Amino acid sequence: MVVTGRAALLALLATGAVAISGSLGGTVTYVAVGLVVLLVAVDVSLAVGPRKLRLSREGDTSLRLGETAEVFVTVANPTGRRLRGSVRDAWPPSAHASPKAQPLRVGAGERRRVRTALTPTRRGDARAAGVTVRSIGPLGLAGRQRTLSAPWSVRTLPPFHSRRHLPGKLSRLRELEGQHTAMVRGQGSEFDSLRDYVPGDDVRSIDWRATARNDGVVVRTWRPERDRRILIVLDTGRTSAGRVGDTPRLDHAMDAALLLAALAGKAGDRVDFMAYDRAVRAQVKASGKGSQVNRVVEAMAPLEAELVESDPAGLVSAVLTQGRARKLVVLLTDLNATSLEEGLLPRLPLLSSHHLLMVAGIKDPQVEEMAAERGSPEALYRAASAERTLGERHRISAELRKMGAEVVDAGPEHIAPALADAYINLKAQGRL
Amino acid sequence: MTTTAPPEPRSHIPASPLPGSASQGSAAGRLWRAGRLPLAVITVLVVAAVLLSLGKERFPTGHLEPDNPAPGGSRALVQLLQEDSNVTVTRGSEAAVRAVERAGDDTLLVLFLDHRLLPEELDTLAGLETDTVLVQPSLRSLHTFAPGADVTGRAQDERTLEPDCALPAATAAGGTGLVGELYSAEPGVEALGCYPAPGGSAMLQVAAPDGSTTTVLGTGGPLTNRELDTAGNASLMLNLLSAEDVVWLRPDPPTEVGSATLWELVPPGLRWSLVPLALTLLLFALWRGRRMGALVPESLPVVVRATETTEGRAGLYQAGKARDRAVSALREGFLERSVPRLGLHADAGPNAVVAAVAARTGEDPQALRPLLYPVRPDPYTADDAAMLRLAEEIDQLSGRLR
Repeated sequence: MVVTGRAALLALLATGAVAISGSLGGTVTYVAVGLVVLLVAVDVSLAVGPRKLRLSREGDTSLRLGETAEVFVTVANPTGRRLRGSVRDAWPPSAHASPKAQPLRVGAGERRRVRTALTPTRRGDARAAGVTVRSIGPLGLAGRQRTLSAPWSVRTLPPFHSRRHLPGKLSRLRELEGQHTAMVRGQGSEFDSLRDYVPGDDVRSIDWRATARNDGVVVRTWRPERDRRILIVLDTGRTSAGRVGDTPRLDHAMDAALLLAALAGKAGDRVDFMAYDRAVRAQVKASGKGSQVNRVVEAMAPLEAELVESDPAGLVSAVLTQGRARKLVVLLTDLNATSLEEGLLPRLPLLSSHHLLMVAGIKDPQVEEMAAERGSPEALYRAASAERTLGERHRISAELRKMGAEVVDAGPEHIAPALADAYINLKAQGRL
Repeated sequence: MTTTAPPEPRSHIPASPLPGSASQGSAAGRLWRAGRLPLAVITVLVVAAVLLSLGKERFPTGHLEPDNPAPGGSRALVQLLQEDSNVTVTRGSEAAVRAVERAGDDTLLVLFLDHRLLPEELDTLAGLETDTVLVQPSLRSLHTFAPGADVTGRAQDERTLEPDCALPAATAAGGTGLVGELYSAEPGVEALGCYPAPGGSAMLQVAAPDGSTTTVLGTGGPLTNRELDTAGNASLMLNLLSAEDVVWLRPDPPTEVGSATLWELVPPGLRWSLVPLALTLLLFALWRGRRMGALVPESLPVVVRATETTEGRAGLYQAGKARDRAVSALREGFLERSVPRLGLHADAGPNAVVAAVAARTGEDPQALRPLLYPVRPDPYTADDAAMLRLAEEIDQLSGRLR
């Protein structure tokens, strides 16, 4: 049951009437209070029961972070009375549903569509909590309220800010394939075909044996390797929860992973994806050719950093069970000396014997700012602590490189293009 | 010693009782362990309170209070009176009337603070056929008990007054400090005035038609512990109050009864309007307080900055004044950045690095060595100023190497 301000006003009028009633007070009180209660009761009984309404849903099911999705609730009133009141489509606070509540009028036997706009500020799945319908009686004094279930879920995908780097990186990739307008010779490492020599070709690419068999001079053409396998591994452990700037490290890593997945898909490589901390949190296996970006994005959306220490040993074995075919394993994690030294380094040879490992870490620019602090003993202690952090990072990077892994260490703004460049370089060198 | 010690006996483990009873025992033990400290504290507090309260008697306070040993009380007089007579201390007129009726013929009613009594009570008390002593009575009780007597003045300057009358108690006592209000009787009233002063007598004895007397004292001063032993006060009072039964009436302040409250003064309409007003408030609260549906819970992610560990370590350095560690971190940071820039391998030894830096900057290698590598004693860890100097010199050096 709900009452409106009108009911309170009516009771206030009754109070005034009793106050000036003088010696008749007792009788007038019974009459006035009884009247107010009666009117409220009548209004409640005449209000359309919210339980009789039929709700249905439609609208967007996914959006990128920062965009606005629209969801609709259709309220059908099968009763013979007119529904008057308000409705609220409830969503978790971070979904920022607006408007919070809106007036609702549905005639007898009619339907109305109620629009709610969602602008989520967090990645992941937002589930509708319920639709609260408040139905006010014909007198406008009181009514009934009920929260009805109308399940719906909206998935907020990672924003993929690094998409803007994609055209530039793709043109570098085309340069490798020799399709670029700059007409640079393809530097790929895989034999493609033989063709006639045209002036301007590198004389070192002349295939003398084929030339001897033919009339003219024949050159070999090369193209970048294709159909290589890439496994992107996202570390969702404790260290990925730390915020660099205002965003968790995990989200920066996702951005970089998405650019790499998009690029590798365009380059004709097969992209697998896995999220791991102590268990596999999400997994996407390449199915045939074509871009896996959409599937990877879907898999990433509900991921959150778990507050557990990652288990690099389990990670290595999870990677190894994915098949013995050589692949590029891109591990997006924090270059945290203690956890990598204890967990990953001892198992690195096992991994490197089968696959090529690339470790990408996101640098915190704030640590570098701290390292430059001067002026007071307190600032120096902070600078020294930051230097220690940087030193450890430097040391673990050097150790990883020494053991044959590629290391990409860049700030949050640069990690995605840096990772893409590292991938293109590997491709150019034919190391995939 | 440890080699000769026998192995720990473990037989008690199988010998322990059933698991259920064991867990019960441990539960009781847990309860005891949890409760023993509060229990001990409470016990200590109770014992301390009892010990502190021992030997301490609380005496009532108040002017002419019979049990009050303070200067303003009259415990001394009452104790003296109790040696010869039955002293009944009463706190209200009804108790006093009962006490007087219970007592024998030789009864004396001593009345103080009579302004606390209602007129009806005064009438009742005056109607008792018994001798009465009034101490500084109000005008109303003076007229009730001793018709014809009146307040006619007030003794101002005198310290003591002389009896100057035929009353045996007064003549025996001599001069007393009975310095207060002064009374006179109208002509035609059988009255005996003692301790005269300009304006009247400080003590007036009025005889009633039934043979009883009413003695009016101008002040309660001579009855108090403070003044009882001065001049002839004690003698006067003991003689005046000598009777077989003394009823000591010191009324408590009257409690209010039967007056109209504010509630009764409010018009009935307004009184009744509280009912619909309560309904109004209830409806108002319901209107404003009812939510559109329940709150939606959501699990929030942790907010932790990636620099937190680094900042925590900085705090530890500072708390421990770990200048040696700070200085070595600053040096290592500098070397890490500069050594590759000098064209040296990262594992290059101190001598090679110092020589390369000296060659590039033209500094004295002897001065560079303690700056870049720790020597014993390290001049840069002595105090904060030295540490700041090291940071400054390292910054200058890296500026010149760039």
